[in-house]
Amino acid sequence: MTDVATLSPVVPKPAHVPDAAVYDFDMFRDPQYVADPHRRILDLVRSAPAVFWTPRNGGHWMLLSHAANFNASRDIEAFSSEFVSKTQVEAMMAHMPPGTPHIPMPYPINVNPPEHTKYRAPLQRAFSPKTILALKDSIRTLANELIDRVIDSGGCEFMAAIAEPLPVQVFLKMLGLPLERQEEYRELVRQHLSDPEPDPKNSMMKLWRITAIMRDTVVARRDNPQDDIISLLWKTEIDGKPITMDDMENYCVVLFIAGLDTVMNGMGHGVRHLAQNPEFQDDLRKNPQNIPVATEELLRRYTFTVPPRIVGKDMEFEGLQMKKGERAMLFLPAADLDPKEFANPEGFDIKRDKPHIAFNGGVHRCLGSHLARVELQVLYEQMLARLPPFRLDPQRAPTFHCGHVIGVDSLYLTWKV
Amino acid sequence: MKILINKTACVGNARCAAVSEELFPLDEVGYIAVEEVDVPAGKEDIARRGARACPERIIRIEK
Repeated sequence: MTDVATLSPVVPKPAHVPDAAVYDFDMFRDPQYVADPHRRILDLVRSAPAVFWTPRNGGHWMLLSHAANFNASRDIEAFSSEFVSKTQVEAMMAHMPPGTPHIPMPYPINVNPPEHTKYRAPLQRAFSPKTILALKDSIRTLANELIDRVIDSGGCEFMAAIAEPLPVQVFLKMLGLPLERQEEYRELVRQHLSDPEPDPKNSMMKLWRITAIMRDTVVARRDNPQDDIISLLWKTEIDGKPITMDDMENYCVVLFIAGLDTVMNGMGHGVRHLAQNPEFQDDLRKNPQNIPVATEELLRRYTFTVPPRIVGKDMEFEGLQMKKGERAMLFLPAADLDPKEFANPEGFDIKRDKPHIAFNGGVHRCLGSHLARVELQVLYEQMLARLPPFRLDPQRAPTFHCGHVIGVDSLYLTWKV
Repeated sequence: MKILINKTACVGNARCAAVSEELFPLDEVGYIAVEEVDVPAGKEDIARRGARACPERIIRIEK
């Protein structure tokens, strides 16, 4: 786990960054941020510039205001997702010794249109609202099974007992991966989470572990298609050419990372809020028809992803000079707490009718947003319907990790049996 | 009342359809299927709510 006492070293400020735009914030290790992430974000929204440059973690831009995030997400030339271009990857692979395994690339996340469109298209139907709606009953069954295991114990560590296994099982079912290997997948998720900071060598090893665990099934589905996403992907074409094993590995990596390390944290933040607010639990128990709007307000209040971008050209943005190649973080959690967009942003109000950007926007809008929404809604519905009022365990405060995902490490709940 | 949608800018949030599938029909993969909808009498409020729900801000209401 990250040692919060050690901040990353400070790098010198580039000449084009004015002093007024510098704000010292370590997005991985800031102690107050790691202790209670969204409290610290509210503090940043009040005290830090709407767009600032931090000297931590190699030096990078942070976009806080809703307007800055909204505009940056839709200008893919200015704020590119292509940290390493496809041509660069191909050149890199050409210099590797023969027999080096393919390096999986998280397409379509880290590629711009038109490539992005090509790689995203085969996945669209599998994650459409209609397809996802058909999974709702099976998601509810899974949620109930997990609740059954803890209901009589008067409490649980929510992340390990429910938030982590639920999306893992949904993911295995959708992709057609063997449920009996669930433990191996969960272990891989845990390894992935225990090392939230990007170290290139480690990241590569993690990617290879993901493709290795899925390989048998991927090969089996090529030869014997079934009704699952892996089989569906084998039937698609990219650029008019049949899909390759390399393409399949790219998809495996994207779906694994995006599908497992995200929604579980949304569940953690949401259930923590419910546990802290017994009167709100009561309200929703009496009015379960409000759970879908409550889910949206929980997503706004506790937006938890921080997508990175790379500045695509020398430019002026929000009155600041930015240079090609600089890194910029879309700090969506701050955007959804911007008082210019959401009056009284700290307050929790299910009657708000302005949309949040927890799933980001523009062409990179979260592909799994419809699945995440159904998983969150069903989880809240079943927790509220089946458990008595639950609270945070006063002896064990929740713990978090921060970075590109603001994650919940542990969340101890108690209830009367 | 008319709903006008900048269809090419749709990225498939489907929030409009979450308000009303009838006023905001989606295509096979969950993107908006139409550019223009005549709002039936009595559905004006729902049309406005659907327009406000769009995170891309690409839905306009014309009286």
